[in-house]
Amino acid sequence: MPLAAAVECLDPDAALACALADDLDRAFEALVIAYRVRIVTFVARMLHDDARAEEVGQDVFVRAYRALQAYPAQRRETLRLRPWLYTIARNLTRNAFRDAPPFADSLDYDDGNPSAALIDEAAAPEDILLRSEAWQSVDDAVARLSTAIRPAFVMRYLDDLSYDEIAESLDQPLGTVKASAHRGLLAVRAYLENNDG
Amino acid sequence: MGESNFGALRTAPNRPVAPDFTAQVFTRIGLDRYVTAASAIGEVFVAWRSGGVSALRIAGDAMTFESWYGERFGRRVVPAREEDPISAAARAKLGGDEVEVPIDLGECSPFERRVLEKAAEITRCNARPYGWVARELGVPDATRAVGNALGRNPVPLLIPCHRVIRTDFTVGGYVFGSETKRTLLEAEGLDFAAIERVTRGGFRYVGDDDDGTFCLPTCGTVATRVGSPGFVALRSVDEAHAHGLRPCSTCRPIAA
Repeated sequence: MPLAAAVECLDPDAALACALADDLDRAFEALVIAYRVRIVTFVARMLHDDARAEEVGQDVFVRAYRALQAYPAQRRETLRLRPWLYTIARNLTRNAFRDAPPFADSLDYDDGNPSAALIDEAAAPEDILLRSEAWQSVDDAVARLSTAIRPAFVMRYLDDLSYDEIAESLDQPLGTVKASAHRGLLAVRAYLENNDG
Repeated sequence: MGESNFGALRTAPNRPVAPDFTAQVFTRIGLDRYVTAASAIGEVFVAWRSGGVSALRIAGDAMTFESWYGERFGRRVVPAREEDPISAAARAKLGGDEVEVPIDLGECSPFERRVLEKAAEITRCNARPYGWVARELGVPDATRAVGNALGRNPVPLLIPCHRVIRTDFTVGGYVFGSETKRTLLEAEGLDFAAIERVTRGGFRYVGDDDDGTFCLPTCGTVATRVGSPGFVALRSVDEAHAHGLRPCSTCRPIAA
């Protein structure tokens, strides 16, 4: 076995992609089991609506299945499942957003120049986030982020996607997603500070 | 402060999904799942979708089952990786628990559905003739159609079509064979030797003088009591009326 193939087998997503390429119908449940909680949680944070999250979460997997059906086996095999599923989730929550406008009191401002907000992350004191055990407050803060930066913040800081994966999911340049995630972090931190105790 | 210090944030609680989340997705994409479960007649395949259990067959070659399923229902069925509330309920019921199991009869005709729902009312240690089901449904001439509908029961055992027998109280046909049907009914408590002793003499009912009622010989264990004081075999409803007996409210013998 070539080394690259051996390494790929260690990655559960790569193994899952191979299984989906081999027999989509038989492997699909494994994809749903692996990602349903993450995707529904992500959708709930995007929509700030638990009731609709379930339905839109289902939509994500239905959309994923239809897309996989249409892909040739070779494309399925090489698919990076995580960023790909987040792309679908992001697109479907954007559609859902059109029905329900976000909070008027958005936490972050948009000066049209995201890179201006790009600060060295190493210097950002996010102790308050680490201390915060009131996750409801975090979710409330997330709900107040604008739709422009919310996905990048949630993917990076709550869902632990790499910047590469986020850039791929959102189809945005790396610098943009880094700036968005960081601006989200500052805004959430400010919200938690103001609502602490 | 470096990236690694965001660890706590990444333990943000996830939102749990509903127990039927996967079944809802699978139903929407037209894909059903199945598990293997133990039953009174050995291992069976149980297939289900979000509406309920859609099929039950004796376990055997998976490919044969899957292709039968595709032909019958026009949908693909794949082995399930995990249990959900519907498959768990089916497994419990097949294991002998008294639980409600949702059934999906979406592929059945309205008449087939009525026949199967009537069969589902027949409790353990009981059997009713095909003609009884036809009369209960208000279509007394449709005995043969009732038999055909029961023969197409997609979920034997879960809907106990084995409890519907021939009008002469012999067991009649069954999707898994007559022998299996008789074994099942006897395991549930019916005594066919006793039933045959009654019917061989041309008797169709059993009267209970103490109760003042008369029954079909397949109503519980009534056939085993014939010959003991107070129990009498009867040839006709007229004969029962002559004894001053009224029909049992459980087996409703007039309908037979």
